[in-house]
Amino acid sequence: MFDELAIVVIRGIGLGAIFALIAMSMNVVYGATHILNFAQGNMFVLGGFVAVAATPAGQNLSLWLVLVPVAALVLALVVALQGWITLIPLRHSVEQNSWLITTMAVSIMISATLLLVQGPWAATARSPIPPLTMFGVRTPGPYLALMALAIFWFFALRWFLQRTLVGLAVSALSQDLEAARAAGLKVRQLQLLAFAISGLVVGSAGFVAAPLMSISADTGIRYVLNGFVAAVIGGMGSNVGAMVGGALVGVVSMLAIYFVGGEYQGLVSLLLLVGMLLIRPEGLFGQASARRV
Amino acid sequence: MTSTAKLYAAAPTQRRARAKTDTVQLAIACVLIILSGLIPDLAGNDYWTLSFQLVNLFIAVAALQNLLMHDAGQTSFGQGAIFGVSAYCASVVASTYGLPYWQAACCGVLAAVLAGFLYALPSLRVQGYYLGFVTMSAATVFPEMLVAANRYTNGINGITLNFSALHERTALGVSPMTLMVCGIACAVLAAHVLLRRTALGRRLRVAAISPEAAQSLGVSPGLMRCLAFLIVAFGTGIVGTLYTPVVGFISPAAFHIDASILFFLAVIVGGRGHILGTVVGVWVLYLLPNILLAELAQYRLLVYGAVALVVMLLMPDGIVGTFERWRLRRRTSQPLQSVGLERLLEFHRGPGAAGEKPGAVTGNAIDVRAATKRYGSVSALDSVDLTVRNNHIHGLVGANGSGKTTLLNMLSGFSRLDSGSVRVAGQEVRSMPAHRIARLGLGRTFQKPRIFSTMSLWENVEIGIDAAHKHTHPACLLAALRQAMEEGNVELVPHGQRRLVELMRVVLKGSDIILLDEPAAGLSPSEREQFKKLLCRLRDELGKTIVLVEHDLELVWGIADTITVLEAGKMVAHGSAAEIVDNPFVRKLFIEPTHA
Repeated sequence: MFDELAIVVIRGIGLGAIFALIAMSMNVVYGATHILNFAQGNMFVLGGFVAVAATPAGQNLSLWLVLVPVAALVLALVVALQGWITLIPLRHSVEQNSWLITTMAVSIMISATLLLVQGPWAATARSPIPPLTMFGVRTPGPYLALMALAIFWFFALRWFLQRTLVGLAVSALSQDLEAARAAGLKVRQLQLLAFAISGLVVGSAGFVAAPLMSISADTGIRYVLNGFVAAVIGGMGSNVGAMVGGALVGVVSMLAIYFVGGEYQGLVSLLLLVGMLLIRPEGLFGQASARRV
Repeated sequence: MTSTAKLYAAAPTQRRARAKTDTVQLAIACVLIILSGLIPDLAGNDYWTLSFQLVNLFIAVAALQNLLMHDAGQTSFGQGAIFGVSAYCASVVASTYGLPYWQAACCGVLAAVLAGFLYALPSLRVQGYYLGFVTMSAATVFPEMLVAANRYTNGINGITLNFSALHERTALGVSPMTLMVCGIACAVLAAHVLLRRTALGRRLRVAAISPEAAQSLGVSPGLMRCLAFLIVAFGTGIVGTLYTPVVGFISPAAFHIDASILFFLAVIVGGRGHILGTVVGVWVLYLLPNILLAELAQYRLLVYGAVALVVMLLMPDGIVGTFERWRLRRRTSQPLQSVGLERLLEFHRGPGAAGEKPGAVTGNAIDVRAATKRYGSVSALDSVDLTVRNNHIHGLVGANGSGKTTLLNMLSGFSRLDSGSVRVAGQEVRSMPAHRIARLGLGRTFQKPRIFSTMSLWENVEIGIDAAHKHTHPACLLAALRQAMEEGNVELVPHGQRRLVELMRVVLKGSDIILLDEPAAGLSPSEREQFKKLLCRLRDELGKTIVLVEHDLELVWGIADTITVLEAGKMVAHGSAAEIVDNPFVRKLFIEPTHA
């Protein structure tokens, strides 16, 4: 019984690492632009698609390691392009919610392209990392690789946003956009940079997680919604929250899949989300914002 | 001067422009729906008949989402699930339990209303895209739950129900099904237009645009949100019961999250808030890819996404929205609007007036004892006492940050005291929600006037009349005001006059106690003189009690009966204007030019 629980929990943490990575990438973009990139889930799937396209990497560990940053860069470019498209109408229209539509539209287009390219079947990729035994539990390699990647990105983002000048500028956007603009920061360029960084995170995550997910047109939504739940539970904008929220959602999802059934995973996520919003809308590590009357 | 006179002469022909837009769009929409429903049926083409029946059902659901999104301000990405709940419930009840379909339909509508209520609960805590994502999660989970409950729903195999009798063409050449679907779609659009003209519709819109303004008018924003979700769920439920009769078959695949996203995109791409927008949106996003790409079915999804993206980039206000903006820009410019508050006061003069007897009530309007409020280590209010007598003008002055607006927020219920007591009109209101305090007879204006450009000038005032619970106004007064302001465009009202509109709204609400938050800001000196006279008339002729937070000391000393001076959260002087003028704190205020 304990063994089974250990298996489930460790895989849950691995799954949670995926959600944490997606949540962190959403946090970067949200902080700089107050946009929740709905297409992030499909971008994650695209990262996995890169792994499928480069199938020989599934056998060769060193080639696979080299391709992780390549996948990250490819996705960084794609997400930056998407960001540029999303930010265009925000310059000169009254409808400040156009980003909801444009990110959704891009997500739909990516789904459609995947459908066209590989049909309604799901593609899979192989991982070159052998299963490791941790705490007496045999865990497939990708789960551990994802945990390592999540920890890596957590510290990398923390270093970037707090220690480099460019990163501090991006942080400034999240604290007060108008003041940043008044201080002379090139807001638009920094926002595009934020999009690109989120692409790096999500691209590398997708590439590493490829063996675990079914790469098809429908899975993107599931990931972006779970990533959103992780971000909300942890607190929007907080990367610590993203890590904690991701782990929480991952473990609870895995437990639900194990005890109740795979089709209830979505319901469990939804209940977690609603529960957190009813009890503490700002999340575990978020800050409540007040309105001036 | 002659040019202004000519422009004034032109104004009556542009009367009721806003209401007319709605009616015109409704007419066009209904014509399009009816034509698109009847023509394929008359031509005998079964494929297109069915397609347009489905399109018209989608238009109805999207129109309800339009109502929810624009009029009630609630972002929902899950209306497809409510549509599906109703359709599935009706189908399951009809097939499993064998009840006649109209009874099953009632069950379906009930289920939809319950689902709407479940959507309403998170809306009490979160708004905007947070609420959207919650509803989207619910809509994603819905088909999965349908499959999981396959004991009742037959899982992915779906349920088949036979309604061929309704699809047979009658002597008129059209089937009853087409007529029903067209009828429902037109009815939903018409109901939307009608709702906008009722008090409930106006309350929904105020609660959506500005929850504080709604609370100050005695409207609870949470209740309005729930009502909106329930009304829309009810309508969507009715439309949903028609789904299985139209298609003949129902399965979970039909209520994938794509359906909800389609409804949402259709509203925005068509133009949110515009009646014709949903028709245009559904046609562009659903019909066009299906018609143009009938052979290339695999490209439909890509085209649908690309169309949504391109339309949003080129026309962020939606197709109909951009067209309307272009059309309005081409109209001749109108003169600046002036607001006639004097008209209001004239009507209240004389014995046959609205029955408000000045000066009859004794006692204190407002009684504050030892009010304390801290934000962290800063004391916004430190044991402040305040007594406002009935039928007085009470000035509240002090430097910026002295706690005046905090005190006002306490009185109106937008903030809570840490300790102390507040009595308004004799009742303890320390823990009362703001909208209940407003119903006790308290009205307030805000530093930034809450005048809404999405409503006409008359509607901005009308919401005050809607909020008048205990007072009725003479019909001739309302008619006169309406005539003066019907053609008014809020954007043409100069800033100083906007506050007067807000004040008019508060007076028409029947508030006995009026709190004014820096009302003279932005007024020219001559306007300030008129304003002073206006306040005095409100006190003398209408018997109002006025609390005035102001920086213009000359204005305050000119008309206030009693003045309270606050500094750094403490009350440092209190008394009539003549009494406290020698107080050292007050003298400090006067050393600077007459604005504190």
